[in-house]
Amino acid sequence: MNAKGGIKVGNKHYKVRFVEYDDQSQGGRVQQLYTRLILQDKSQFLFSPYSSGLVATAAVISEQYGKIMLIGGGAEGKTYELGNKYLFQCITPADQYLSGAIAELKEHNPHAKVAFVYSDDPFSKAVVAAAREQAKQAGFTEVLDESYPPSTTDFTAIINKIISSGADTFLGGGHYSDGATLARQLHDQKAGMKWVSILVAPDSEKFKTLGAAANGITVPSQWEPQVKYKPQFGPSIAEFTSEYTLKYKDLPDYHAASGYQVGLLLQHAIEQARSIEPDKVAAALNKIDATTFFGRTKFATDPGHHGLQIAHQMVLAQWQMKGGKLVKEMVWPDAARTASVVYPLP
Amino acid sequence: MILRRPFFWIIAAIVAAFAIAPAIGDNIELRESLVLAAVYITLASNINMILGYAGYVNFGSIVFFGLGGYFSVWLMSAHAWPLAAALVAGGVAVSALALVFGLGILRLRGVYFALSTIGVNEGVMAFVANFGPWGGSTGIYLSPALFQPLGGPAKALWVIYYLLVGIMGLSLVLSYAVKRSKFGLGLLAIGQNEDAAALLGVPTPRYKAIVYSLSAFLPAIAGGLYFFKSAYIQPPDAFDLQLSTETIVVAMLGGQGTVAGPALGAFLYEELRGWLLTSPTFSHFQLVVAGVLLLAIVLFAPGGLMGLLYRLWPRLRSFLE
Repeated sequence: MNAKGGIKVGNKHYKVRFVEYDDQSQGGRVQQLYTRLILQDKSQFLFSPYSSGLVATAAVISEQYGKIMLIGGGAEGKTYELGNKYLFQCITPADQYLSGAIAELKEHNPHAKVAFVYSDDPFSKAVVAAAREQAKQAGFTEVLDESYPPSTTDFTAIINKIISSGADTFLGGGHYSDGATLARQLHDQKAGMKWVSILVAPDSEKFKTLGAAANGITVPSQWEPQVKYKPQFGPSIAEFTSEYTLKYKDLPDYHAASGYQVGLLLQHAIEQARSIEPDKVAAALNKIDATTFFGRTKFATDPGHHGLQIAHQMVLAQWQMKGGKLVKEMVWPDAARTASVVYPLP
Repeated sequence: MILRRPFFWIIAAIVAAFAIAPAIGDNIELRESLVLAAVYITLASNINMILGYAGYVNFGSIVFFGLGGYFSVWLMSAHAWPLAAALVAGGVAVSALALVFGLGILRLRGVYFALSTIGVNEGVMAFVANFGPWGGSTGIYLSPALFQPLGGPAKALWVIYYLLVGIMGLSLVLSYAVKRSKFGLGLLAIGQNEDAAALLGVPTPRYKAIVYSLSAFLPAIAGGLYFFKSAYIQPPDAFDLQLSTETIVVAMLGGQGTVAGPALGAFLYEELRGWLLTSPTFSHFQLVVAGVLLLAIVLFAPGGLMGLLYRLWPRLRSFLE
């Protein structure tokens, strides 16, 4: 941005100065560092810490000083019900993580029998709490509800329960190692699932090392390099992906993409506002309804939910075997689809 | 009377320095760095009573901090209790619970006791993560409106800071008063040789349960203040075993069994971490630098910083306890 002369505001060009600290994922440290960012480093705009709780903690400081904070990591929706004025959530809230999987599954099996098996952590629980309601509305039957400690390494007993419950659909998981183990053991124990959606783990490129156990597994994602959005401003998906790969020698995942998106949205809002006054930029953010390489963005503006993301959609990816190789295909929504879904699981 | 002793006035001077320093020029940044130091000093001084005096390693002392946080935050958010009442209620409830737990697990000694304290922390965390009224594993989010009675968030953070400094001061005074009392002598005897202490007439089970419960009261109030300030509480943050272990490390670093040691260790540890984190040179390997420094102190000053200071200036013993 600076090489191109900075952000254009009216006739002026502003160079960007970026300051960052390691918050150690500790609430007290987050407040200390955000205070420092505002008072000593004189930051005019803030990007959020990672995770919902730390966002709420940082908001105590950012709101106090009337600083805009864009949230690129923190899917929990509760923070936006508390009357904050300058928070803007740029990713899809947790309660919609599995809605794509449920919508797509309904097309193939309107009477699915679902086993919810998930890690006992806030994120996974929030996702499943919402998915349970959505599954009920879709007409599915819940046959098992089982949470497990995040450190679980053996799921034999839980999978036996899934089998005896008569489930044909698996929804759940949590983070990488538990999700990968679940996929492997579901395959090894021949659990006979027709549909498996696991949070987080299958999103990683590493997941394909599971071989046949990965085949057919679906994962909700905030963004994938394969999506097909038509950006109204900012880089195209191909540009972002190739520039990122060139610099970091790795494919961007959705955390990288949401990190880029918060900067892009801020720049756009400043340009639209033709000012760096927080209230004018906040007004520009409130008005945004636009599509970038990351997808569509629109923030709730009613005081009860101000800043909540209401337009960005998750995508649903599925690992599919193509010519003896596992590839990740987008299977939902139609706008992002790169292949039709494989149902039931091979 | 401890009021007549010079060390009491040293404590008073430390508290005054904490109170006045950030108020000069409204230095909010300094205040935010001292908040964490005050929390660490509170935790280290309280664990020192059971670790340094009675010789019982409590790995799970953070359970008091976390439970106090939950009690207070819940009373304020769900039942609209005022801050002061919620804090005191949190402190009393956690102390009472600690007495009950203590009577159970303090029958154990050595490594068995240490392990059981981790068990208490993990058990309580698992309970809270499944306890609906406290938000289960999602925790409790506080509305910014709760800061209004204290004059809005900006003022509230100052009020919270002064209250935390007060709690830190009380922790130091309590630690000092206990050490100078007959009760404290009993604890020190337990720390030296529990069987011999019992033979000499020290009521060991009662003393241990009391000190366990006593060391829970102020950390619970500090937890209430800390999580109120964060506007958010969640089981992994409230019952963070790493913070619990750090507390033991800073107490040993400063010199367990002394009153000033744990506070000194906590202060230096926290300020060092804060400085490394924001230093342009060290921020990316701050953990390495902190680790090396800790190792050097442990290797070359086994009695902690206070041991080192006493060795260099033996006269310090007469007024720095």
